[in-house]
Amino acid sequence: MRWRRLLTLMRREVLATLRDPFTVIILISVPLGALLIFGFVLSTEVRDLRLGVLDASDSPASRRLIADLAAKGTFSPRPYATREAIDRAIVSGDIGAAIVIPPDFERQLNGRAPGDDPPEIQVVFDGGEAMLAGNAEGFLRGIVGSTMGQIGPRDPGAPPGVGVVLRSLYNPTLDGTPFMVAGTFGFVLSFLTTLITAVSIVNEKLTGTFEQLQVTPATSVEILLGKLLPLGAVFAFDVLLMVLTAGFVLGVWPEGSIVFFVAMSAFYVMVSLAMGLIISATSATAAEAVQKSVMTSIPLVQLSGFAFPIRSMPMPIQWVAELFPATHYIRMSRAIYMRGEGPLALAPELGVLVIFAAIMVIYALRSIEARR
Amino acid sequence: MSRAGVFLSNVLAVAYKEASILRHDKALLAAILIQPVMMFLLFGMALSNKPANVPWVVLDWNGGATARRLVEDVMATGYFVPPQRVTSYDQGRALLQRGRAVAMLVIPKDFRREFERSRAQVQVLVDGSDPMQAARVGGYLTQVASQFDPERQPDQRTAQDRVRTDGPLDLRQRFWFNATLDDREFFLAALAGMLLTNLCLSATSLGLVAERESGTYEQMLATPATPIEIVLGKLLPYVGVSYVVMLFATTAPGVVFGLWPEGSFVTLFVVTLPFVLASLSVGVFVSALARTSAQAVFISVFFIMPSFVLSGAMFPYQFMPDGVRQIGGLFPLRWYQIALRRIVERGADLSEVAVPTLALCAIFAALLVAIRLLMKPRLS
Repeated sequence: MRWRRLLTLMRREVLATLRDPFTVIILISVPLGALLIFGFVLSTEVRDLRLGVLDASDSPASRRLIADLAAKGTFSPRPYATREAIDRAIVSGDIGAAIVIPPDFERQLNGRAPGDDPPEIQVVFDGGEAMLAGNAEGFLRGIVGSTMGQIGPRDPGAPPGVGVVLRSLYNPTLDGTPFMVAGTFGFVLSFLTTLITAVSIVNEKLTGTFEQLQVTPATSVEILLGKLLPLGAVFAFDVLLMVLTAGFVLGVWPEGSIVFFVAMSAFYVMVSLAMGLIISATSATAAEAVQKSVMTSIPLVQLSGFAFPIRSMPMPIQWVAELFPATHYIRMSRAIYMRGEGPLALAPELGVLVIFAAIMVIYALRSIEARR
Repeated sequence: MSRAGVFLSNVLAVAYKEASILRHDKALLAAILIQPVMMFLLFGMALSNKPANVPWVVLDWNGGATARRLVEDVMATGYFVPPQRVTSYDQGRALLQRGRAVAMLVIPKDFRREFERSRAQVQVLVDGSDPMQAARVGGYLTQVASQFDPERQPDQRTAQDRVRTDGPLDLRQRFWFNATLDDREFFLAALAGMLLTNLCLSATSLGLVAERESGTYEQMLATPATPIEIVLGKLLPYVGVSYVVMLFATTAPGVVFGLWPEGSFVTLFVVTLPFVLASLSVGVFVSALARTSAQAVFISVFFIMPSFVLSGAMFPYQFMPDGVRQIGGLFPLRWYQIALRRIVERGADLSEVAVPTLALCAIFAALLVAIRLLMKPRLS
């Protein structure tokens, strides 16, 4: 291996990548776009959910309850006159939940002997939006509970129960942004890198410049490194750009060491780039390379734990998920970003990633050599 | 032949040509066949946001029968794996830190005595680094604790027992259309939308650019067919394929999981048309923007990704903040998934999905104008 030859190859690669304005735009806009989009989508907080209200009681107590439901900004109540109107509104999706207060609500609430049934309020949720309904239920229960605690007499016959002091570590407000930001690194560094490498090499094959490279004195290792290192540097820059954007725009900084995070990410980029090399080596046309990259990206989003928890999958699928390098990268990225883990605690995951890298690079080298 | 007759025969001729190419494109056919099955299996069987197999830690300083009973009650919900027992606070914190546990339940020394005075309290620490899971796991634990009654058998209530007594008030809750809040129903209802977005965009954006690259587009322009007829003819076969995929996506959940659409297939067919046309137009628009097929693919892939995420097909759009929520409204998939959910889950008829249908028509019209403006210089 000659350093000068390698440097020439690397210079050539950087020039070729940066000369195409379209690639440069993609390299900057996709990571930032992904960061901003994903950073905002996942939230557990319900805001302005349209809540149908049928207040047959129209008493001070019921009006107080509805005012409290509106006050927190979680629900925006809309009055309806009949039960049928409410049912229709739920079916047509005009409202996501409805609350029905009976005519004798106030009387039941105040003039109740111990042992009587407590007043009953009906709540209907649109379960079709499963996640939304699940969270809205919690909020509604909390608000109703606190309001009734203030206006209603305490029921002497209620079961004792156990109070819970709930504390959320690492993320006291359960803000969804850091979770998604840390995962977005995995998404961008897996998908974009593979796609760009695959397309760039296949295009070189089509125009014949790759064959020209192969007849130069450069060895396979030099060609491989001449591709991997410059692209790796470009994506390391992308990582830095994303860390800074997440920090300054979204206010999310890693809890752990930034240096360790960037170094670990740069190493992971090599794995994805090698994947791109393999895809390009086995594809005849750019369209085929892209189709393969996109096909590998479907499990990437859905099985890597980026969007859906791996623990909730059936066992065999969980094993499959462990076979994706992205799964391990995203796990580490979240550990560093949210729990401030260091290299020692993450050694097992890092080891898995090193094994993946070794397999991929050897395979990529052989696919370049095979065509000489 | 009349003008309309010429128009129709030209469109059909181009459609015939396109269909025969499609029939011989093995890679594309495989993608069209494999993708729906794969997505159906993933969303139907593999993916869920419901917590399951949750690892947790119990730090039981009391050690009595009542405390053990509380742990049994938590296990009875079915969301948790058997707990890891620790003897110190730091041990539990370390497990949470390593990600080996999601929650820690701390039972105080005087739990039994306090419980008899009706003022027992336990502490729950959850790992907030996955906020969705943390919120739900915290909710389950709180719910079990608030209803805790050592006299009752744990198997008498399950997590689905959603009728509960809240102090002075009886809150009767019902979840319409999806009583157990299964994510499967949420995902599968929008499956057709996701598949059609993928299909329409990748097929058209690639197809048109590839023809321009290979020069066959110029050859077609030399035929008596006008540009509009060529584009329409090229899109026609994909409308057909889209309907087949849509039928698969709405009947497969019925056959496999018994989740048949509540509404009528006629309504589904009507609503699907403006969506397919709008999605195909996005593909045409992309192909007019792109110079090479690689660019076309990049643009369409990075249109598909945000439309999955922002439309509400995978995450509820109601959670998104203002601004992001409105951006999602620009994607055809947003309106189609709204319509799909109403028809499939709530059995809505055509009048109840009028708003999303009209929105789709409006997006289609806007795209037609944009394509017209963009393609004019090239076609003259």
